[in-house]
Amino acid sequence: MSDAPVLEERSLYEVHQKIYPRAVHGWFAAWRWALVVATQLVFYGGAWLTWNGRQAVLFDIVHRRFYIFGLVFWPQDVIYLTALLVLSALSLFLFTAVAGRLWCGYACPQTVYTEIFLWVERLVEGDRNAQMRLDESDLSFNKFLRKTVKHSLWIGIALWTGITFVGYVTPIRELLGEIRSLSLGPWEMFWVGFYGFATYGNAGWMREQVCKYLCPYARFQSAMFDRDTMIITYDAGRGEPRGKKKSAGAGDCVDCGICVQVCPTGIDIRKGLQYECIGCAACVDGCDQVMDKLARPRGLIRYSTTNAMEEGWTRREMLRRLLRPRVLVYSGILLGVTLLAGAALYARVPLKVDVIRDRAAIAREVEGGSIENIYRLQIMNTTERARAFTIEVSGLPTIRLAGESTAGIAAATSRVVPVKVRIDPAQAAPGTYPIVFTIRAIGDDAVAVHEKSVFIVR
Amino acid sequence: MNRLVSILWPAFVVGGAAEVVFFTVVAPQELYFFGEAVELGPLATYTIGFFLFWCIAAASSAFTVFLQKSAEEINRCPLEPRERPPGCPKAEP
Repeated sequence: MSDAPVLEERSLYEVHQKIYPRAVHGWFAAWRWALVVATQLVFYGGAWLTWNGRQAVLFDIVHRRFYIFGLVFWPQDVIYLTALLVLSALSLFLFTAVAGRLWCGYACPQTVYTEIFLWVERLVEGDRNAQMRLDESDLSFNKFLRKTVKHSLWIGIALWTGITFVGYVTPIRELLGEIRSLSLGPWEMFWVGFYGFATYGNAGWMREQVCKYLCPYARFQSAMFDRDTMIITYDAGRGEPRGKKKSAGAGDCVDCGICVQVCPTGIDIRKGLQYECIGCAACVDGCDQVMDKLARPRGLIRYSTTNAMEEGWTRREMLRRLLRPRVLVYSGILLGVTLLAGAALYARVPLKVDVIRDRAAIAREVEGGSIENIYRLQIMNTTERARAFTIEVSGLPTIRLAGESTAGIAAATSRVVPVKVRIDPAQAAPGTYPIVFTIRAIGDDAVAVHEKSVFIVR
Repeated sequence: MNRLVSILWPAFVVGGAAEVVFFTVVAPQELYFFGEAVELGPLATYTIGFFLFWCIAAASSAFTVFLQKSAEEINRCPLEPRERPPGCPKAEP
């Protein structure tokens, strides 16, 4: 790294040639659009669903509670977040091992928003050639108008994206109400702007540079590839030597350059797999269109594996290699973790209790010579309805609660309940004894929690 | 520009992760500055916390980038002679 010529290193971001990807139609482009629509329906639309009279998906960081439809997650449930991250990572490994960078090509927000922004750009400025002409031309009214319209549309989409993003933290209907009455809080305003600006910058200006220079996944994805991973491959055996349609001895590639023009990262797939390739398959669609016109079979550029290319396998032979150990192991672990997390979630008791011993008074003698310890029970009712709980204590002879032994907790809130625990004198020699608190929901015995603590006798 | 991105971007990712881990464990109401409870709203605390983590991570990245300078850059002027600004002592006469 340190041996790299200084000038070249500096030019990494500076000498950037704008890439004008040519519009492409076909099977994979249709899939990409389907995923743009699906992911954005979930993202833009998800904020508007309601459930139990509240926003269905809400990350209420102010009250430290995440609502996802019927589920309410508390900070103590961080294990489920961990499980979700593990599942996401494993899915990424699995998809990558099977068919390369499917995530990058179809579902990554960077790709999705770039696709949307490119669509706006084409709508306003025309196709690839028109865009290049417009950028080269001198400033005119037409150019000014088109650029203004394009950037306004981009900023509009970016702002809406920012508002939706914040709408998952502050309920989106409240948020829009605040915006309409111009009473938006400064921090919400900041995050709308921040996220909106990031969307505008990343999808409008940075585009493929995010994938090439900023994305860590692009750097290590090849570690999950093997010789049976389906990647976008140019069939050099069939294509080379390149030449005009009628020239003798020429392969199927007519060197029309469409595959380069449609590429959002501006590479030439015919040079083989490169880390810049985000696996979007635009070149596959582009080349298929040309092959159709030339009345040659499709698939000069296609999803294929290293083994299939070298051995000349048929599609069926290639797909049979899907059941190889790497894929099976990833699938097995993925299935295992999913089942485990699902079972844990299903068996989750909607009640949490933390027992905190009162540190100020360790043990004291009260009337009648009983020995008393004081505890504070933080009882968290994680359901969305109010509940009453009974508190019991056990673990020592004659151990009992003095005072209240029930506690009512409102829906999805927590309350600290102070409790006094006593034992008869002469029941225990000085020392520390384990005891157990049992908190049980009245009317639903299945909702019960046992929490350990200690009772101290001096 | 290249250096700025190399400092800010990894720091952004690490700062974001640190923010999530820290505030999962610690509620903003539980924070004390010099014995005084923090009286900002939760959103403000989260935001300031995020930028604090980002800055700390950026400081680390900046240090790394600084130490990554090659001997070439430290011993000699990294700019080509014709690229040196006017008034530079190493500018070509």
